[in-house]
Amino acid sequence: MATISIPLPGISETAPRPRLSEYFRWSVDHKIIGVQYMVTALFFFLVGGAMAMLIRWELLTPKLDVLDSGSTFNAVLTMHGSAMLFLWIIPMMAGLGNYIVPLQLGAKDMAFPWLNAFAFWLIPPAGLLIIMGWFFGPAEAGWTAYPPLSTMFSGDGQTLWALGVHLLGLSSILGSINFIVTIKNMRPPSMSIWQMPLFCWAILATSIIAVMATPFLAGALTLLILDRVAGTTFFNPAAGGDVLVWQNIFWFYSHPAVYVMVLPSFGIMSDVISVHSRKPIFGYRMIALSSLAIALVGFTVWAHHMFTSLQPELRIPFMVTTMIIAVPTGIKIFSWLATVIGGKIRLNSAMIFALSLLSLFLIGGITGVMLAAVPINIYVHDTYFVVAHFHFTLFGGGVFGIYAALYHWWPKITGRKLDERLGKIHWFLTYFGFLGTFFPQQIVGMLGMPRRVAVYDPAFQSWNVIISISAFILGLSVLVLIYNMVVSTIRGEVAGPNPWRALTLEWATSSPPPAWNFDEDPVPFEDPYGYGTEGANAYLSALEERFSPPVVAPAAETVEEAAEEIAEGESSQEA
Amino acid sequence: MSEAAMEHGHHMSAEEVARSNDNQKFAMWLYLASEIAIFSIFIGAYVIFRVREPEAVRAFHKGLGVTLVTINTFILLVSSWAMVMGLRAMQHGNRRGMLRWISLTAILGTVFLAGQYIEYRELANVEITLQHATISENNELLHALDLENVEAAREALGGFGMRFYVPTAFHGAHVLVGVLWALLVLWRGRKGRYDHNPVGIEVFGLYWHFVDVVWVLLFTLIYLI
Repeated sequence: MATISIPLPGISETAPRPRLSEYFRWSVDHKIIGVQYMVTALFFFLVGGAMAMLIRWELLTPKLDVLDSGSTFNAVLTMHGSAMLFLWIIPMMAGLGNYIVPLQLGAKDMAFPWLNAFAFWLIPPAGLLIIMGWFFGPAEAGWTAYPPLSTMFSGDGQTLWALGVHLLGLSSILGSINFIVTIKNMRPPSMSIWQMPLFCWAILATSIIAVMATPFLAGALTLLILDRVAGTTFFNPAAGGDVLVWQNIFWFYSHPAVYVMVLPSFGIMSDVISVHSRKPIFGYRMIALSSLAIALVGFTVWAHHMFTSLQPELRIPFMVTTMIIAVPTGIKIFSWLATVIGGKIRLNSAMIFALSLLSLFLIGGITGVMLAAVPINIYVHDTYFVVAHFHFTLFGGGVFGIYAALYHWWPKITGRKLDERLGKIHWFLTYFGFLGTFFPQQIVGMLGMPRRVAVYDPAFQSWNVIISISAFILGLSVLVLIYNMVVSTIRGEVAGPNPWRALTLEWATSSPPPAWNFDEDPVPFEDPYGYGTEGANAYLSALEERFSPPVVAPAAETVEEAAEEIAEGESSQEA
Repeated sequence: MSEAAMEHGHHMSAEEVARSNDNQKFAMWLYLASEIAIFSIFIGAYVIFRVREPEAVRAFHKGLGVTLVTINTFILLVSSWAMVMGLRAMQHGNRRGMLRWISLTAILGTVFLAGQYIEYRELANVEITLQHATISENNELLHALDLENVEAAREALGGFGMRFYVPTAFHGAHVLVGVLWALLVLWRGRKGRYDHNPVGIEVFGLYWHFVDVVWVLLFTLIYLI
């Protein structure tokens, strides 16, 4: 260690939390906007979750009994998929990025604060349009909205759905432009792009995908809306149109878009795993570059969603590109494993969720390669095997990452830690509820149970009862999380500026950070993951001295109680 | 950080101004990259039709002629030139010159839209509509050709309208936004917003030239090929 960089001297006071009313109005502060994104996304997570519960309730028996018709089942299914993908995972990741990226870059705000606020405020009306559709003849064509289902059969709700998704696309494009500019231009002079935290790398790759892929969805949705309301026939083969055009454009957007949903999670993984293993990340450059590789290769695989509808000659090329994309993903997985091995692992909630992601995404990835193989794909096409696969990737890969991020960054956002005991209950219910829900789906899928229908062969019922009960446990787990969030925000353990002793810059300011984030421009440590080195220890000690010790929680009833809570938190942290 | 800094009454250093300028231009390039993707969908829809139904497109070419649209293209090109002159004037500190040139840009953009309107009306008169339509047998576009298989061309021509109107109207909407943006630039320019930093005009220029280039592409694809 040639130089020991030390953050600026002096003592910073802990800033008070922003007032509650600030979250309900137009604000250009990226921290407020980040929270606005996340709370909005959580709301839609609950909506999508309620739909999932309804689906599983219906599927407890092989007959149609809970819902009044197959159409209603389709509508519930569509709402579930749309809410979870477009209104939960994507905005949630955008919210985390919004809160964390400028802090990790030591910047005062995003490059375009006004644009940032504008991008967020497109989301509530978009969500409203999608939900409102329920009352005007609900959308029934699934989140993929294949014509002719989406053009000739669904009610006006489908048009509202398309308008809503259109707005979300615009929001996503504008937000992503903001991220790319911020990450390129707003780094401090002493942070080269190869010293940038990997979460920022992941958000950069995500944003490049969003800027280049989302407009394709916008174009296709425009044509879909015109087909529905203006009498055009772009997707109507009876009048010179072509339904496959939709499938091609949609997947050209949407396959890259699944990486929009999981790449931020990969960034979270790199940060969380390195911090809580107290070890430098293994293969920093390879992890960073593999994100870009995934973004790039992601544009060449779309037709693997169409093996049964495409010209057969095109199957093999798309099978090959799809299998290639497992390589950069594999690089990440092995790098994380190599980071964990030999580390001083803290098994707190953030770390447990991150390690769970590793195990679940692995299964998701392997079933992905299975599905890429044309013969298997055709065999299990449109069965629950596919459902299991994408839930392993998007829930196992996406949502577990979000949970890890919540436990990891909650102290920064609210100034208080989430409760560890509740966190572990949450993890237990989530992990085993998840496995009980989606592992059997792989089996019933292999046995041939088709997806997206409310009635099924009674032979599958016992499997479906197991799946449904596990799904209810999974639903329950979310309530534990919400309870934890509410309770811990009011009376959780006060975290202080850097509870995890992490080196990235978001921890070099008070929790929550003051307006403009840093009292003075912070100096980043030369290696954002250089844990265990002398230089890093000196840097962290200097950081600790800069901030006054955590203030005792005012909400705790007695001082002793609060002190006890802190001691408890510390012992569980060390365990 | 430009807007927020202004809101809080900060004075930006020269370095911050340079970075903010750089940010704005880079963001506009990214935005234009995403616009290319949207246009490519609509252009793709037209190109597929062009390849599959050459007779319908030939009927359109022969029956309508390209005089009006060529004049219109020329007008848009001149407006881009006016845009360049306006930016140049402001960079030389000539606010009045800038206002004059950008006014010309806005006027030419409006004239282009008017030309587009006349073009659409002519097309509507020969039954080319956005809605998929059944073309009548005595349609004059069909008579412009001496075809063996009039029936096939007649059926195909019914699907021409939507492939034509979607890209051109989407482009027209961009011109309209551009004209409104030019008016905003004029209004801000009068108050001296660009006197020391013309980056706002430069960013608008990027957009306007992009809209111009897209038109040249559409003109070539739809009217010439």
